[in-house]
Amino acid sequence: MAIAAVVAGGLTRWGVREATWKELVQEAGKALFDSVDNLDRNEVDALFVGAADPERFVFQAHTAPMVAEQLGIRPRTIMRTEMACASGQMAIKAAAMHIAAGMSEVALVVGVEKMNAAPLAESQTSMACVLDREWDGVQGGSAPPFFAMVAQRHMLEHGTTREQMAMVSRKNHRFSATNPYAHFQKEFTLERILSSPVVAPPLTLLDCSGITDGAAAVLLTAPERARSFTDQPAHILGFGQAVEGNNITNLGDIATWPPLEVAAREAYSKARIGPGDVDFAEVHDCFTISEIIEYEALGFCQKGQGGKFVEEGQSDIGGKVPVNTRGGLLGTGHPLGATGVGQAIEVLWQFQSKVPRSRHVAGAEIALAHNLSGAANAHAITVYGRVPR
Amino acid sequence: MTEMIPLPYILDFLPQEDPKQTRIHPFFENLKKGRLTTTRCAKCGEVLWQPRVVCPRCNGDSMEWVDLPREGTVYAYTAMVLGAPLGFEKELPFVIAIVELDLGVGRSLRLFSRVDDATYDEMAIGKRVHLKVVDCGDGRVFYRFTAKAPG
Repeated sequence: MAIAAVVAGGLTRWGVREATWKELVQEAGKALFDSVDNLDRNEVDALFVGAADPERFVFQAHTAPMVAEQLGIRPRTIMRTEMACASGQMAIKAAAMHIAAGMSEVALVVGVEKMNAAPLAESQTSMACVLDREWDGVQGGSAPPFFAMVAQRHMLEHGTTREQMAMVSRKNHRFSATNPYAHFQKEFTLERILSSPVVAPPLTLLDCSGITDGAAAVLLTAPERARSFTDQPAHILGFGQAVEGNNITNLGDIATWPPLEVAAREAYSKARIGPGDVDFAEVHDCFTISEIIEYEALGFCQKGQGGKFVEEGQSDIGGKVPVNTRGGLLGTGHPLGATGVGQAIEVLWQFQSKVPRSRHVAGAEIALAHNLSGAANAHAITVYGRVPR
Repeated sequence: MTEMIPLPYILDFLPQEDPKQTRIHPFFENLKKGRLTTTRCAKCGEVLWQPRVVCPRCNGDSMEWVDLPREGTVYAYTAMVLGAPLGFEKELPFVIAIVELDLGVGRSLRLFSRVDDATYDEMAIGKRVHLKVVDCGDGRVFYRFTAKAPG
């Protein structure tokens, strides 16, 4: 039986936006409320806000009540969830748990991050404090150097190539080119990706997800009530989560990501499926190498074969498991708290056949959404089904 | 002329090292003397990194300070070329590595650290690097590694 159902979604345009975080919240809320006919906003009895670091990005704490204020709702349950880049998925998980426990009938999830309020070095600082500030952040690194070393080890241990990494970026930008909400609505050739400015070798700018402003909202209710809002909801079949420290010292194998394997086992077991049942996946391609390791740890291919998987087109439309048909973090950008919510909307719209045909996975029954946070120490997975099962 | 509103004191990346602010101040005092140290749990004997006041394995809260090797080998490396956080932009590009310290008896410890005195092209996996103590000028210190052999 499904835990809860996602019945509606609303997105802002993602990008470097000439708008404050509160305005982005209003836009996402309007998009959501406009998309549901039978909803009186007074029915929303719970609000979960996914936001990673508003204290530093926009110098604002206590954001959940402010979101309620912007949207004109007075939920009885209200909180913000914070797990850095996985904050949005955590808000969905919290909402689903409240629905499953009978503590909420109609729950709203809003993911938001305004990352371009201050100059770039400020934004990089806000992201660097996701690492352990006193021991890792102090060294002047942030996410790119860590994932660059992940790529170096994966290339060394498994023969993954720069070209294979660039193929992830090319695929995801091809998808985001037809996504009107995406930060980067443009295709790139392999040559252009490989010759873009070096951020942290071997990673170039087009191996990295964007620093993006954006918001996303989804509405959740109990599976039995879902059809009062939509003919085709996305049913949550199971969650999986695992963590192995936070300091990079404490992640056992940087090229394999053992906690993701643990989270995947739990998610598949709870949803009573296996990796072969996944028809499409939204995975956390914060960097190209991340998506390659995720194919492996999620069981879409054998360990070390992730580079080959993308090269063979197995993660493209028509392949074994189409991955990141929305455009991923690489193509749509990565407004940290909004990312996981944006992924859920892609799952819903895929099931509802609301995406362009060129990136539609026809007849899909099962979808998986994944986020990581920190130095790949923490992983979260949600499994969705077109039918409740 | 608009009057600027002064912001309150904002923390930087460096740890709070003073005995008034942290119970692991011996780490920083040892570092000032050129020693890289950490805590070992007196109850279960586990060497803990980073230094702790309570053992996350056995709950013991009696700690001994032990020395870590001052030399390590490079497990992985890259360079920060673009997108440094505040305070680091002027130093670009700089080398960052995961440095492996051999603790003996088949155990090792990996640290995320700047490596000075080498360019990205001069780096290699397996390269020997040596502890370097950086004086921050405000009474605080932190560690890096250097590719230069100690003179």
